[in-house]
Amino acid sequence: MGSDLIIQRSLRSELRVLWVMAHKEWLIFRRYPAWVMGYIIWPLIFPLGAIFTARALSGPDARALPAFAALAGTDNYVGFIVIGLTVYAWINITLWEVGFHLRNEQMRGTLESNWLCPTWRFSLLLGPSLTKLATSLCFLSLAIAEYHLFFGVPMLAGNPTLFLLVLLLVIPSIYGIGIAFGSLVIRFQEAHTMVFLVRGIFMVFTGASYPLAVLPDWMQTVATWLPLTYAIQSIRAISLQGAGLSEIAADLRMLAFFALFMPVLGYLLFRFTERQARRTGTLGHY
Amino acid sequence: MNDPIIEVHDLTKTYHKKTVKDEAGFWARWLPMARQTETLTAVDHISFTIARGEIFGLLGPNGAGKTTTIKMLCTLLEPTTGTATVAGYDVVRQAAQVRQNLGAVMTGERSIYWKLTGRENLAYFAALYHLPPAVARQRVNAVLEQLDLTKRADELVERYSSGMKQRVAIGKALLAKPPVLLLDEPTIGLDPQSARNLRELILEFKREGHTILLTTHYMEEADQLCDRIGIVDQGRIIALDTPTALKATINRLDVLQVEVENFEPSWRGDLTALPTVETLTTEQLGHDGVWSLALHTGDSRNLLPQLIQTIGARQGRIRHLQVKQPTLEDVFIALTGKQLRE
Repeated sequence: MGSDLIIQRSLRSELRVLWVMAHKEWLIFRRYPAWVMGYIIWPLIFPLGAIFTARALSGPDARALPAFAALAGTDNYVGFIVIGLTVYAWINITLWEVGFHLRNEQMRGTLESNWLCPTWRFSLLLGPSLTKLATSLCFLSLAIAEYHLFFGVPMLAGNPTLFLLVLLLVIPSIYGIGIAFGSLVIRFQEAHTMVFLVRGIFMVFTGASYPLAVLPDWMQTVATWLPLTYAIQSIRAISLQGAGLSEIAADLRMLAFFALFMPVLGYLLFRFTERQARRTGTLGHY
Repeated sequence: MNDPIIEVHDLTKTYHKKTVKDEAGFWARWLPMARQTETLTAVDHISFTIARGEIFGLLGPNGAGKTTTIKMLCTLLEPTTGTATVAGYDVVRQAAQVRQNLGAVMTGERSIYWKLTGRENLAYFAALYHLPPAVARQRVNAVLEQLDLTKRADELVERYSSGMKQRVAIGKALLAKPPVLLLDEPTIGLDPQSARNLRELILEFKREGHTILLTTHYMEEADQLCDRIGIVDQGRIIALDTPTALKATINRLDVLQVEVENFEPSWRGDLTALPTVETLTTEQLGHDGVWSLALHTGDSRNLLPQLIQTIGARQGRIRHLQVKQPTLEDVFIALTGKQLRE
């Protein structure tokens, strides 16, 4: 018959699948041009509320600023807030995009047709994550440029190599959390509540816009279990205090731990929920 | 008959759902003891085989278990019990090999990316099927040509008609030249001309040597396309044979098709009780009190005068009457007592 199989599955073809999935996500992303405006405008708007609040609370002639500096290690409250909220926003975008990816595919109706292909199922999360990482780094780059231009906050003032190292170490953690989300969404078919919950936890417990020292002891303990805490802490130290490797070594060790642990957790959850979805038939539900 | 390429043995799919007991009050319903487990059997111990090169249809109403069966065969769903093989590979233990040997079209136009062009969609899925790049390009062009999509291949799918979108969905299933095609309700939602064109394509796929399992609730489609049909109702295959043989099983029955003015549903019991009436189905036509009745009977000659008398005694008026040859829908009605569309 005219149905001789022409499939040639190999490691190379699996890598090509990752590339093709990333490319597909890019094509779809650029066909919704409104995203570009959001990426340009949002970094400018997002920290303003916290900055003006801090200005109001600092009192006449900023007389409360020494108290802030004693807790934060710097009196540059604009830089402190901008860095914390920028990292938070970047991670927020990543969580949202990765966490919702499978749900979006499910709602579009394309999840099943991807699942029907003889390819590594995890590619469905990993491939598009490459594009989402690239676009989120564009967001971060734009934000850094805008904060330097409009707020006078030089986020790359310190050691840029260390800055990149922190990013490299926090990326696997965040994607691990995002993949765990994306998997749970397949099981529960509801993503908003979970993402809002984690966003809220990150916002409150990681000191995105205030020093961790103002939190009660138990909340500070919770903060030590969140990778974002170490990312914000170390980037602030690098950019605002000129910290070197030795000063942030403890933070880097924790980020490395999370970088190993979170992706494994995410993958295991993905395998579990994938199996559950095949048992319960929820793949095609929306 | 050719050797079987799909074998299904005693396949079952059961779902367990937690529901609240009817007697549970508003507050009590949140407690574990107010919950009970309901079991739904979507596919109930079905068995069939499909020969290489055959078009096999699963015909039945919505909710009969057709899509669930196909989902198990294409590895989207795990069976609860039973076994199934596609091209010799077990659908549970060798799922990856099964997926290599079949192309499936499940949700039609929703199964492709509307923000990609037709060509981009096919190139994407060609890569997911691990076609080498040069082969993928050649196959994409060939499939576009076969499905008459070449002229608009580089437009976004969101601008295609429903028929074109369905063809792209089918195209992605053809890319790797799989021996087996699974088509779930392929013509649903299409206009009559598009549906007709798609059926011609399905026959062309058969001529190319593909084995096709399709599900449908359109009996004309099953009649036209399928070499054999499994009639499915409530998760079970209640009949399985060629369309001709299935219709011959009720050849002994005539179908009296009657249109009656002033019909009342309360007459059903009296009409069903008439001698030689096997089954009666009714359907309201419009809102002017006109109903269509279909009576399956082994003796239409003797039934006719009694029918006229019974309807006339109740002030009904017969405005049209014919004796029909049985169709697959009549086979379904004879087997289940209800219409395919219910």
